[in-house]
Amino acid sequence: MKPISARCLILACGNTLREDDGVGPFLAAQAERRFAGESQVRVICRQQWTPELAEDIAGSESVVFLDCAANARPGSVQLAPVEPGGKAPGLATHHFGAAELLSLSKELYGSLPRISLLLTIGAGSLELREGLSSAVNEALPEASLLLERTVQRLLANTASWTQPHRA
Amino acid sequence: MSQTITIDPVTRLEGHGKITIQLNGQGEVEDAHFHVTQVRGFERFSEGRPFYEMPSLMARVCGICPVSHLLASARACEAIMSVRIPYTAAQLRRMLNLAQMVQSHALSFFHLSSPDLLLGMEADPKIRHIFGVAAARPELGRAGIGLRRFGQHIIELLGSKRIHTGWVVPGGVTEPLSAAKRDEMLAMLPEAYANIRLALDWYKKIAGNFKPEIEVFANFPSLFMGLINEDESIAFTVGALRLIDSKGNIVEDGIDANRFIEVIGEAVEPYSYTKFAYYKPLGYPEGSYRVGPLARLNIAKSMGTPLADKELAEFKQLADGPVLSSFYYHHARLVEILHGVEKIEMILNDPNILDKHVRATAGVNRLEGAGQAEAPRGTLHHHYKVDDNGLIKWANLVIATGQNNNAMNKGVLQAAKHYVKDGKFTEGILNRVEAVVRTFDPCLSCSTHAFGQMPLALTLVSSDGEVLDQVVR
Repeated sequence: MKPISARCLILACGNTLREDDGVGPFLAAQAERRFAGESQVRVICRQQWTPELAEDIAGSESVVFLDCAANARPGSVQLAPVEPGGKAPGLATHHFGAAELLSLSKELYGSLPRISLLLTIGAGSLELREGLSSAVNEALPEASLLLERTVQRLLANTASWTQPHRA
Repeated sequence: MSQTITIDPVTRLEGHGKITIQLNGQGEVEDAHFHVTQVRGFERFSEGRPFYEMPSLMARVCGICPVSHLLASARACEAIMSVRIPYTAAQLRRMLNLAQMVQSHALSFFHLSSPDLLLGMEADPKIRHIFGVAAARPELGRAGIGLRRFGQHIIELLGSKRIHTGWVVPGGVTEPLSAAKRDEMLAMLPEAYANIRLALDWYKKIAGNFKPEIEVFANFPSLFMGLINEDESIAFTVGALRLIDSKGNIVEDGIDANRFIEVIGEAVEPYSYTKFAYYKPLGYPEGSYRVGPLARLNIAKSMGTPLADKELAEFKQLADGPVLSSFYYHHARLVEILHGVEKIEMILNDPNILDKHVRATAGVNRLEGAGQAEAPRGTLHHHYKVDDNGLIKWANLVIATGQNNNAMNKGVLQAAKHYVKDGKFTEGILNRVEAVVRTFDPCLSCSTHAFGQMPLALTLVSSDGEVLDQVVR
């Protein structure tokens, strides 16, 4: 069992050189500024989620995964609980999904966050360029506000996630 | 009628490639190839860029071993500047490269190869991956993650970024080490020692279970090449290259970066974007050689650190002369991790390690320069030519995976001939053929300086070219 090192871990993923794939890093940078004075919030942003992150997850009371969704409507913002699962075969050594990382945390450290959520923003374009598409740009205020409120609820211990957020 | 087996993609590798096995009319293996199917072209698009941009540009070749590219590139630039970097900068760079060695070797051993070693080559592929390792021996999984974190965090503390740091520049490094960061690194050492000890002890217990694989996993005489110091101890960041034969005789010594192209040539084959390096006096393919952990341990007379020296002595007992089976790359990798942890400790305790003089400055003083360093998977050579303004006119990169390319192909053929009988194969057999390639831990992105996804694929092809079977994961 890992000792708790953060009450809320924000774990973002994305590549800012692949257009809307950069929305995770964008929101993570915003969250870092917003919660700069809040020692119980930890923000980690990576181009890919790798197995090492299982240790950080295992040491967190709650986790919010942030990513773009290639198969969702461009600009759609979704927040939903995520459970351990999806144990990938041999290829998955460089990139893990949220469910796989949770599985690995459980297997290796016998520990899971009390609440695990996945916040996604539907990608409009994943071309090789910097910046975000107009659909994702327009969705940023909503995504940003949703992230902020979610973290506040997690810290206040009032979160209940039976109904996923879809917009 | 002959057949061809294709493994496409080959899994648990750094890059994207496939294997084809050609069978004759009797169902016997006639030929086999490991294809690298991606291309990128860093050498070409760097033309016209200022030479001092090259380390940062070249680091982008790879997300696993960017540090080695940074170092080889910076050294090539320093040859153009004709400067010698300050002592402390050299020590800090050495530590950076060792930290990368630890994290990359940990990835190769624990994430990519330990599923085969722990669960068996014939284990169900549905569990033969890191989750299977985590379920069966979580302490091994935690050790791998711990060593990865150790290496990555040192890189981050030194260079402010875990990947693609811009801290290494022509002339040295941009910032000295602070006492606080040094102390943070020192505090990480006990856990790193415990993790590598656990892995080495476990590996030595189970290695005997793999005698059949050891016999046929690229087990043949070849040349070996790697960097060594003047005292014949292992080197990663400075030193000169030594080439030995399969009996351990020195074939060529003191190959510095300027001499590299005198002795090493590159051949091309139509089935791969990766070139095939060879020792020029013997020609291609006779002059093919191996690089990386196995080669380095075969060449070095000592590791220069006490615990790793004991392990090296034990390693050298595996054969009367150089250890020839590529299966032992796994063992060599673990010895190098131990050396890396020890050497990092030694460097951190160097009384001059906090010195503020870490960068030499100069402009263009020569129009050509070359640099070399050891990447986790073997020797890396960068060679540039510039104009009077320091703009790159020509660049050439000779990468570890290209230098191991012929040995990987021979190894795939050796294993396929041993395991594939009467045109019949099982998933476990195909996994063994893949595992031969995995022992080398090739980096296909590096070798083609390529862009692409990570998977590698196996095809069974008849003598008239018909694809009879294919495994695509």
